[in-house]
Amino acid sequence: MSTAASFTPLVAATGEALNLSMQRLWLTGQVLPAGARLTVQHVFRSEESQPLEVIYSFPLPRDAALRSFRITGEGFETHSELKETEEAVKAYEEGIARGSLSALARSYGDGVVNLTVGNIRPKETVTVHLELLCGVELHDDGFRFRFPFTLAPAYHPRAKAAVTASGEGELELPAGEFGDVILPRFREDASVLHQIGFELTMVSQLVLDEVGSPSHAVRVKQNGGRSVRVALAAEKDVPNRDLVLDARFQSVAPQVLAGRDKSGNGHFAAVVPSSSFGVPSEAPQRVVILLDRSGSMQGEPISQARKAIDACLGVLSEKDFFGLVAFDNEVSAFQPKLVPGTREFRDRAHAFLTHIEARGGTELVQGFVAAASLLEGADGDILILTDGQVAGTEKILADARSAGVRLHCLGIGSASQDRFLALLARETGGVSRFLTPRERVDLAAVDLFASVGRPLACGLKAGVNVQPEPPSFVYRGTPVLLFGETGDAPIELNWQGGQLSLPVAFSESDIAETVRLLQGARLITDWESRYPSADAWAPLEKRQQNRVAQRLLELSRTYQLASRAMSLVAVVKRAGDSPGELPKTRVVPVGMAQDTAFGAYFQPVTQGMPSPGALPSAAFTMNPATMTMTAMPTVSRAVLAPMLEGSQIFSRIREQFSRRRPPAEASAEAAGQAETAEDMLLALASRMDADGGMPGRDRESRAISTVVALLAFLSQGHTATSGVFRSHVARLVSFLKSLTGLSAHRQEVVAAAIELSNKGAAPTGDWMTLAGKPGDHWKEVERRLSRA
Amino acid sequence: MSNSRTLAELSEESGIPARTIRFYIARGLLDGPVKSGRSAVYSTEHLARLEKIKQLQGEGRMLTEIANHLAGVPAERTAPSPWWQHIIQNDVMVWVRGDLSPWRTKQIRAAIDEFASRLREPESPESRRNRQ
Repeated sequence: MSTAASFTPLVAATGEALNLSMQRLWLTGQVLPAGARLTVQHVFRSEESQPLEVIYSFPLPRDAALRSFRITGEGFETHSELKETEEAVKAYEEGIARGSLSALARSYGDGVVNLTVGNIRPKETVTVHLELLCGVELHDDGFRFRFPFTLAPAYHPRAKAAVTASGEGELELPAGEFGDVILPRFREDASVLHQIGFELTMVSQLVLDEVGSPSHAVRVKQNGGRSVRVALAAEKDVPNRDLVLDARFQSVAPQVLAGRDKSGNGHFAAVVPSSSFGVPSEAPQRVVILLDRSGSMQGEPISQARKAIDACLGVLSEKDFFGLVAFDNEVSAFQPKLVPGTREFRDRAHAFLTHIEARGGTELVQGFVAAASLLEGADGDILILTDGQVAGTEKILADARSAGVRLHCLGIGSASQDRFLALLARETGGVSRFLTPRERVDLAAVDLFASVGRPLACGLKAGVNVQPEPPSFVYRGTPVLLFGETGDAPIELNWQGGQLSLPVAFSESDIAETVRLLQGARLITDWESRYPSADAWAPLEKRQQNRVAQRLLELSRTYQLASRAMSLVAVVKRAGDSPGELPKTRVVPVGMAQDTAFGAYFQPVTQGMPSPGALPSAAFTMNPATMTMTAMPTVSRAVLAPMLEGSQIFSRIREQFSRRRPPAEASAEAAGQAETAEDMLLALASRMDADGGMPGRDRESRAISTVVALLAFLSQGHTATSGVFRSHVARLVSFLKSLTGLSAHRQEVVAAAIELSNKGAAPTGDWMTLAGKPGDHWKEVERRLSRA
Repeated sequence: MSNSRTLAELSEESGIPARTIRFYIARGLLDGPVKSGRSAVYSTEHLARLEKIKQLQGEGRMLTEIANHLAGVPAERTAPSPWWQHIIQNDVMVWVRGDLSPWRTKQIRAAIDEFASRLREPESPESRRNRQ
């Protein structure tokens, strides 16, 4: 591992040294199923000839709060203090005015933090070790940890963005709503920026079967079955995407992390898998699928989302009702009301999807308001497929709560909006998943869709003091996470129609402090999400704002964690401090998130463009029909081309609102990518009829096609109770069970297939290929089954 | 009003946080203090410049544009200035700056839509009366 002092980044194009004020960011800590306790080391180095003030902006992970920081350098070490934000800012400014090294960590809206370190002396290296707590994305069979190494640009209707230097863009948000937050400069090329890395320990009560990362190459070292060390495989990496780590348990069972504090009080975090709450009902679904077609979704995300929606629709029956809405700056609904999941409507929905192109901004509120209107105030769910790259999320959350609908979120992105989407789902009674763009969005959508609208449990209550309150609904695949205090007695859980008792075993380690801090971070995140900026609050009661601010102060004091109401500050008084000397302020740049086109957000400044008054009128070719009100103002190329000849204005205009796909990506699709097993299963799922069977010319052909499809799903590990396609398998089985009128011989084949589905396995053979071939497969199936 | 103030006083008077003022100085939007070191002071000109920056921000300009504007660089050389054309009728065309915020663009487009509708449809006697 290289030291900060020896790290000398170079600009690739010129080979010249780049003057980086922040040189290194290194993540260490422990990741548990209940959350993570992390230390982020930031190494700052001044190459200036005068004192330096550095501002580093980063987004908080989900359910996160800052606990403290330690600032170290040659001959000093100082710890931060937690103060009300106004006092902390004052202390920081007084320290700066005195010429003392000062540091301030302050949270703003959307979970953005500014870490400001001022009066770093020329040639001095200063390290800030920042401790924070954060949550993880829980699954029944494991968990996903996500840590942001970059801050993605985000859409806001009043944001301003432009290229301000070669390969560098800036985004400005309205000060009235976002305060004095300073965003990073966004560099098109992240390779010249500070180095990042990580070394983490993942710990669980259950044996960890697998640990891996879809985002980074990692080294994994077992410390026994329940503890694994994970580190970046390379010496260093660049800040252009989140770190994502996945841990999978060997078994599925409740976990209770419990310990006693110094006063002897018991604190626990319980992770209860959804399978503990029973099996889902077969009640008809009422679901609206809401597709984000904003420019940032262009490319693989939207094409996978289309396929995913097709497959989700394939599982609907005629008793289910669905809606389909696409949004960017504008909203398009497939139908003005919910429609039954018949073949006709699903085919029409497919045709609607084929015309969806990524474009425009992310007006999420308009989208879910339109989706909610389709539910007409009755029970139902909304499944959102989005990258969630929006600013002003507290206002969106307020609107979502008042809409009174359950939102389930499938997030797609390489830089984290995970915090927002997790809140959006949780605050409305739904669940969320977040993927990198290089994972399969379609499979995750099908998996999530299978749990939507059919909660396993409602009205969950705990017999002990639990904060925050247990979720209103429990969905298949998503465990319940509870934080609370308890004595020696088991934790009793009750819900409508069920109950569960969780034994508590207190650990000797410092787990009590960790789970208590994680609880505090979660509560602070929940309350911060109700704390919009002054602008956004204007129509609401002032006293409500005060109530939220007061609650945040209480929580910060109780748990000794920072929030928007309280910040962390440290001032290091040293000999030689020079009062009144003005430090030079530098903002740390970040790289554009992987798979995010720089031109999608930042438009180059053009020079010497003709003004409208200078246009030659003779060049115009008039046509009233060219005036169409779409997301993009319509521009007649024929009209503008003569006067803009030689400029690149058209491409710039298009890129302002849309992302271009890399040529290699586009050509790969054109050439036809290799079809994977999952692709074939998705195709099968999308062909299913509303009654759960496969299509065919008559009952006999439908029966054998359904048997083959069922065996194809089973052969890939999907059963009626497990796997992404569990709903599809269940419906295929249900169709086969309903079949009558077949010959006795063929009825036996059907019965054998049903029996195999109960066992959860298919006989040996290439069932996938067979499922893809048209024709009468009765004899082939009989032959294979008789050999089994 | 005194012509000599500390950064804290300048911040208080302008309503702009001290950190932001230092950021503006580093960006070249604002001159540094009149004197440096222990007796660093800011003048009434600094306060006036901050007010000007606030005003220009309120008009929708980015800091980069403001820096150029305050440095006296001609607007046509600095402003990103693509223009959209909306042909509404054979004899009517509207031009709109293409680098506005999506929010402002949306507002203008709504107005153009309304304008286009009025030109497309013959005026009803009722609307004529209302207009009069």
